Amino acid sequence: MAWVRLSAALYSRYAAREARRSTEGGNVKHLRWIIGLLAVLALVAVACGGGNDDDESGSAAPTAAPTAAADDMGDDMGDDSMGDDDDMGDDMGDDSMGDDDDMGDDMGDDSMGDDDMDDMGDDSMGDEDDQMDDSDAEPVATEEPEVDPCEAVDLEATDIGVTEDTITVLVMADVGSPLAPGLFQGSIDGVKAWANHVNAEGGLACRQVEVIEHDSQINPTETTNGFLKACEDAFALVGTTALFALDTTDLQTCSDAHGNDIGVPDFAYITTEPPHQCSVVTFATSRPNSECPYAGTGDRAVQSQVGHVQWLLENIEPDINGVYLIPSDLPSTIATSMPQVRSFQEIGVVIDGEPGVSGFTTQSEYGAYIQIMRDNDSNFAYSGSDDQSMIKWRSEAEAQGLDTDSVIWMCQLACYTPSFLEAGDVVENTYMWIWFLPFDETDTNQELADFMEAIDDPFPPAWAAGSWADGVLFEQVVNGIVAESGPNALTRQAVLDGARNLTSFDVNGWWSPADYSTTENIMPCFMLMQVQNNEFVRVHPQERGELDCNPDNVVGLTRDWGAEFGG
Amino acid sequence: MIFGIRQSVVVATLLATLGAAVLAVLSWKGTQVSGEAFLVTTYIGLFLGALWAMYATGLVVVYTTTGVFNFAQGAIGVFSAFLYWELHVNRGWHSILALFVVVVLFAPALGVTLDILLMRRMRTATLVVQLMVTVAVMVLLLALVGAVWDADTPRRVPFLFGIGNGIDLGPARLPWHRLIVFVVAVVIAVSMRFLLRRTRIGTAMRAVVDNRELAALNGARPNVVSSTSWALGSMLGALGGILIAPELGLDPATLNSVVIIAFAAAAFGALRNLPLAVMGAMLLGLLRQHTEQWLDFGPDFRFAHLSIAPLLLLFVVVALPQARLEVGRLAHNLRRHERYTNWWEGLIGCGVIILLAVVFSGGGLNFKVWDPGPWGGPELNSVNFYMTFALIGLSLVPLVGWTGQINLAPLAFAGFGAFVYLKLAGDTGNGYWIPLVGLLCAPFGALVALPAARLRGLYLALMTLALAQAMSLIFFPHPWVMPIIGTGRQFPHIELFGITFDDRRGLLMLLVCTFAICVYGLILLRRSRFGRRWMAINDSQAASATLGVPVVWTKVVVYAVSAAIAGIGGVFWATVSGNVDSVQGFELLVGFNIVLLVAAAGVSIPMAGIFLVFFPAFIGLADRLEDVGGTGGIVWTIEEILLPFGPGLMALGMVFNPRGAIFEMGRGFSPILPWRSDARAEIAAENAQKREPEIGELGIERPFTPEEVIAIDRRLGILDEVVPKEGYGTSRS
Repeated sequence: MAWVRLSAALYSRYAAREARRSTEGGNVKHLRWIIGLLAVLALVAVACGGGNDDDESGSAAPTAAPTAAADDMGDDMGDDSMGDDDDMGDDMGDDSMGDDDDMGDDMGDDSMGDDDMDDMGDDSMGDEDDQMDDSDAEPVATEEPEVDPCEAVDLEATDIGVTEDTITVLVMADVGSPLAPGLFQGSIDGVKAWANHVNAEGGLACRQVEVIEHDSQINPTETTNGFLKACEDAFALVGTTALFALDTTDLQTCSDAHGNDIGVPDFAYITTEPPHQCSVVTFATSRPNSECPYAGTGDRAVQSQVGHVQWLLENIEPDINGVYLIPSDLPSTIATSMPQVRSFQEIGVVIDGEPGVSGFTTQSEYGAYIQIMRDNDSNFAYSGSDDQSMIKWRSEAEAQGLDTDSVIWMCQLACYTPSFLEAGDVVENTYMWIWFLPFDETDTNQELADFMEAIDDPFPPAWAAGSWADGVLFEQVVNGIVAESGPNALTRQAVLDGARNLTSFDVNGWWSPADYSTTENIMPCFMLMQVQNNEFVRVHPQERGELDCNPDNVVGLTRDWGAEFGG
Repeated sequence: MIFGIRQSVVVATLLATLGAAVLAVLSWKGTQVSGEAFLVTTYIGLFLGALWAMYATGLVVVYTTTGVFNFAQGAIGVFSAFLYWELHVNRGWHSILALFVVVVLFAPALGVTLDILLMRRMRTATLVVQLMVTVAVMVLLLALVGAVWDADTPRRVPFLFGIGNGIDLGPARLPWHRLIVFVVAVVIAVSMRFLLRRTRIGTAMRAVVDNRELAALNGARPNVVSSTSWALGSMLGALGGILIAPELGLDPATLNSVVIIAFAAAAFGALRNLPLAVMGAMLLGLLRQHTEQWLDFGPDFRFAHLSIAPLLLLFVVVALPQARLEVGRLAHNLRRHERYTNWWEGLIGCGVIILLAVVFSGGGLNFKVWDPGPWGGPELNSVNFYMTFALIGLSLVPLVGWTGQINLAPLAFAGFGAFVYLKLAGDTGNGYWIPLVGLLCAPFGALVALPAARLRGLYLALMTLALAQAMSLIFFPHPWVMPIIGTGRQFPHIELFGITFDDRRGLLMLLVCTFAICVYGLILLRRSRFGRRWMAINDSQAASATLGVPVVWTKVVVYAVSAAIAGIGGVFWATVSGNVDSVQGFELLVGFNIVLLVAAAGVSIPMAGIFLVFFPAFIGLADRLEDVGGTGGIVWTIEEILLPFGPGLMALGMVFNPRGAIFEMGRGFSPILPWRSDARAEIAAENAQKREPEIGELGIERPFTPEEVIAIDRRLGILDEVVPKEGYGTSRS
């Protein structure tokens, strides 16, 4: 087994090196600044024209999804070169401007685009168009002789985990717990897939990305060990999916190669505990949307996404009253759910009950929640817990003979799983909302298409997507540094600075944009799906490739969330 | 006596009922009680009770017929439920066929295998060994489930009889599945009662537990009976697992947790009375469901309704009269070879541990063939963490190893220590409070000892189990006890002698020195008059009392000493962790693992605690090997086998080495030492004994040979002059 692993590792290194050679030889130089200028003009035109329709409906493609405007842009302007990583630095300033306008319209945020990192973030949003139209641009691109920027520089080992040939990143996930082996294996797969993809495309900062793994085992000690290992051996953590990061001191005070205690950049997917949420070196693609620092008790400002329920109020049922199930096993899950409950109340939902549900709750015990619904004639049932909890709830409702058709059943990303569909008819008509384009819309976004091709799983777990997104975030920050100061400017400090100044990042249009300069802001966009005929069907926005980014989707409240929970 | 029941029991029951009533009034939700809601809540409660009754029935049957309290009953259910899922859902077999294969073929085979491989060998083992081996089986079965079925794939077991249809009870509906499960549970309980009380095999089963040899002489076949019992118990566990899986979901930890509730139900029936056990399960179901429906304990006591089972278990064990327990009898051939460690031997041992820590923390270990390089943060962090477990494990040595008082709640004592330290030192990290923490934990230990003073064996084990579970559900999750984790550390770095121990090397030295001081203190204590009392109580409480040993007082003191050590260990545990999760940090299984590893190492050896550190150090070594490209079989073996199965496999070793691995290693090593002539003599005596023919099953399974009769006579100390040298058979002829 070990030899098989070793052989596989050697083979993958060989394959990556071969892939890099071929891409180095095949790269072409484009007329970047001319095309960039044309692209800017096109995007300005788009923003002033067709884009307004989206704003009025509260629905917008956050990127160059195949809306009419985007298609026009792709077809007519031939703005292809911008998608290439190598060219990113040159394109950055110009390329992003159109996107900024677009974003500004969508989100009511005029400040975007004010600084370089912001531009860098938005730059990627045009990349999909650019990449998707690469084939159209080939003839233009070959007119310029290619100069590989990597060959013009003598690469150096610039910090821990960065050699002249490689950038080492560490992915830490809860995998090897004896009771739940393989739990977040998807995160490791996601980061590896991203690294392979990047290496095949020519590498990152003129180097190959190497991934080392650490299994945090749903265990605080092993999680700390992961931070320590990253500190010693890796340039950054990418795709962290550890539930029990209870002490991040080592993460935040780790020394770099120059002996400065600046910490290790941590591009995490989830941050469940306040020490991780508020770590100054952590940038989570699943945003904590909570105020930092936080003492554990007392008031805390938290933003919540309510767009999906607002849509229900406007389009399905104007008077919603119902039950919200709070996952109450951990204080952190209570603290995550309670703001959403209160935010629903803020927009007019009447909460008949907010019982706590445990992972140890049997299906028959859901009978108590059904009883609350009966007593209050509830027409709304929202689970803040996982897909299995929702299945139990709906199954028990069937068992109890509740008129399930008269109830709007809803849950969140946790229900976007194949196993939820496997429950069959019992989960029919359940709504769920997510903050990225669903896995079956690969034709609308190049990043999503790349992910699905690389991960090689028809329905990957959400954490695989999240870890890939972390990789893209890391990639974007690194590319920004390289563009500004060259591939030898790559230090942990530079990465931390780059990430802290990133006010908008949307995984190249696949996800809702998010502001990484603060922990408080939630991702404003969402899309709503419903289980129909045992399939996840897009409900809102109806257009493929679009997310609803209305600024009213977000409600911010400040409370003592632990005290809000009734038990 | 009031109506034939002890007065104390009646008073305790009345007080408990009154307390529960007051609690109910204080935490009343205010929900209007409707007939409909009451009906639905009641039927769901009864159904839950039926599910738990099935597990409880299995426990009682196995205990009544084998004398072994099977902690692995839940894990057998978990494994069977997964196997059923594999056959029925994943491979598409018909549900009845899959059920037949799992319950009628697989489960009995598993039970018989367990009996032949393990349980028969434990007939004469101590209770600690018996319990730990069943815990080891539980850990191994759960690890096997994890290895075969990945947790990344959520699974659901469909309801056996459908869930959508049923009997309409006015506004509510009683699905067929639940009705049938309820009936099946009652039928099983009744038929098991009939089997045990009214059939020949049932009588034989109980007889074999009471007196194996006598039963055999009366025609029973003990091995067959014992295998039948395990097969039966295993079948009940499998059926319970398969029936409860649709309700709970196929998650190993969640499914296994049900067994604690079954313990409470079984204890309600004094571990032997099936009807009472079933009643206990029903009562628990009703209590839990009605509590959930009508009461609200607030966010600070959000797990209160889950703690009903451990609280009931605690009450039942402490308040109700105990049945006679036939477990943990002293082995016929297990003579105690107790030797008191010399004071200077203890000093040398502690010095060696400190020296090892210095070498380890300095990165000076070199394996000759391969230099791992300096140990870094992860290795030191792991060793520090497990050193705290070693300290907590050390607390079990005087209590379990020397006095024979079983304690499954070392983490509860440790958590209490962490709580006390938090209140005393606050956010200062002042290390001078640590000895005081030990002193304040001692009364807590003494408090636990009061009910323990009248409990023995399995009841004591169940009491500590219930205590650990109740504290993890009620006490520790309260934010006043363990504040909700914020951005910073709950437990700052320790400051002592003007040094802030924020460096892991320094902390390791502090930990090892504390460990060494405690070990040495225990060695001295054991040599004292008081320590010898502990050993005497372990041998025979009755004899000790007859000789004037104050049994209760001695027990109280040993609990206090144990709690003090565990409390200090808890302070270090919390400080090394920085933040302690108030729910996950005190999980019962974590405490189990400490007990398991210490018992496997040798619970009567103070140095056995250090065994807890070897395991993670070994895993760290595997990581190092992998990092430098040195793979081969070692890394694979460690990662794929030792990591998930290691603790369980080590504990299974107790079947063959009941006194633990460190003890056996010590016995192997000590004859080399020049001053250990006693060890050399002991080995020589053992070797001489081995040369004598095996007596086997004492003539139960086969007739005696003349040589065996002579051997028995010699074992019994009958003088050679009485025994004819040529043997009885020859002399008669």
